[in-house]
Amino acid sequence: MNIDEIFDFTSFTIDREPHIVLDTAVCVGCDNRGCTNSCPARCYTWSEEEQIMTFVHDGCLECGTCYVVCHKNAFTRWRYPRGGFGVAYRMT
Amino acid sequence: MSKQYQAIVVGAGPAGSSAALTMARAGLDVALVERGTFPGEKNMFGGILHRMTSIEELMPDFWTKAPLERHIAKKGTTFMTAEASFNVQHETTNFDRAPYNGYTVFRPRFDRWLAEEAVKAGATLITRSTVDDLIYKNDRIAGVSILGRTGQIKAPVVIAADGVLSFTAQKAGLRRPKFNADQMAVGVKALIDMPREMIDDRFGLVRDQGFANEFVGCTGGVRGGGFLYTNYDSLSIGLVFHLASLRTSGKTPYDLLNEFMEQPQVAKLVRGGRLQEYSAHVIPEGGYNMIPELAGNGILVAGDAAALCNATGVNLEGINLASHSGILAGKTVIEAHQQQDFSLKTLKRYKERLDLSWVMKDLKGFRNAPKMLHIERIYNEYPELVCSMMEHIYRIDGTPKMSIPKLILREVKERVGLKNAISDALTAWRAL
Repeated sequence: MNIDEIFDFTSFTIDREPHIVLDTAVCVGCDNRGCTNSCPARCYTWSEEEQIMTFVHDGCLECGTCYVVCHKNAFTRWRYPRGGFGVAYRMT
Repeated sequence: MSKQYQAIVVGAGPAGSSAALTMARAGLDVALVERGTFPGEKNMFGGILHRMTSIEELMPDFWTKAPLERHIAKKGTTFMTAEASFNVQHETTNFDRAPYNGYTVFRPRFDRWLAEEAVKAGATLITRSTVDDLIYKNDRIAGVSILGRTGQIKAPVVIAADGVLSFTAQKAGLRRPKFNADQMAVGVKALIDMPREMIDDRFGLVRDQGFANEFVGCTGGVRGGGFLYTNYDSLSIGLVFHLASLRTSGKTPYDLLNEFMEQPQVAKLVRGGRLQEYSAHVIPEGGYNMIPELAGNGILVAGDAAALCNATGVNLEGINLASHSGILAGKTVIEAHQQQDFSLKTLKRYKERLDLSWVMKDLKGFRNAPKMLHIERIYNEYPELVCSMMEHIYRIDGTPKMSIPKLILREVKERVGLKNAISDALTAWRAL
């Protein structure tokens, strides 16, 4: 399984408005950044070079891991996508 | 959009639909609100749908109607290292005849079916609606507001069955605003397409028999475990990680899942299959000690939202607890309507009902299980100990054999330490 190909095997209806919004200034001061390795869809990437956290909501599985793992309360918004948007499981 | 109902259920999962079904059967006008385009679209589990005795009471022919996959006739546990595995299996004809002990299911099919049963009983299913907040009138709950729509759904009582993160319970002040990562796990799962005959041959199954296996020692040292379940023509395979442990491990769930599927003995089981879907979800694994307030003025909490999940390491139960709690919540709301009182005074009967049921009795009885699951040695040292011991027992290489008690003692001393082993055994004994 290659996580870069998540859109090939799991369906999404992407909402242009992100359901999770991050205050990335908080991430700069984080001593752990557990979200980067814990997120099962690799939505969080930390650039050591630029000292920037990037969050992409497109492939979010709405699992809740980042919500629990973030101990800095870096979210200015964490909710589920609007009705009808987001991940759509067929079989699982 | 603003309509008056007698009750609102947030979330059309097993807890919500069971609650809606119970109330609709009693003639209440119920709104069942779901954020997916259909119920079950957002739900996943790595597990078994165990017997649901409370649903059987509502629908005696439940098992013949529900969209189920194979029934579990064979269960196994595997202790695993990178190179070796030691398997324990249990199979009985008692689990091979009705009423079956458990089934594999696909949540998008099963949850949708259960919600439709609630609709048949008279509930109104409102999909594509993410509940945003509770609305109050004169300090009493008056309904919910829907995200992105300028509308409200009104009712004097709300059942929060909106899953593990339950923002509804949070907004009612019933659950802690921040979760403890020690009490939560995340499951990741690959659905692997495989011809039915191949599954039957590979796992030694006939007819509709299914196989369920748990794995210990497959999580790269992160606290957690693995699972493999057989559906009719696919395998569900995945890993569960405790979040406090995953967070600091630096390892990613998908890399560990790949490693798991490439372990030589597991690779043989999934060989020839094709990845069809990848999913993930958080699981409330804290047990009895993490249960939130279950009732408030005008609100009840059921299912995962109430952390009703029993992860003892032996049986992994959730849907059956969710469904039972939903039914008890539904019954309490029916009673509240008879008395026309939706205050905590009446609704706290729900907690009393749950306390008397097997749901709370099981959770209370196994309240030390999470503590056992936090013993780090379970996930590395013990699987290695078991596999190495078995290799010594089976190996014939011209050297004299050590007696088995002596061998056990040596392995324990070498890998775990005697003191640790005794303390772990005591913790496990108390937990189970």
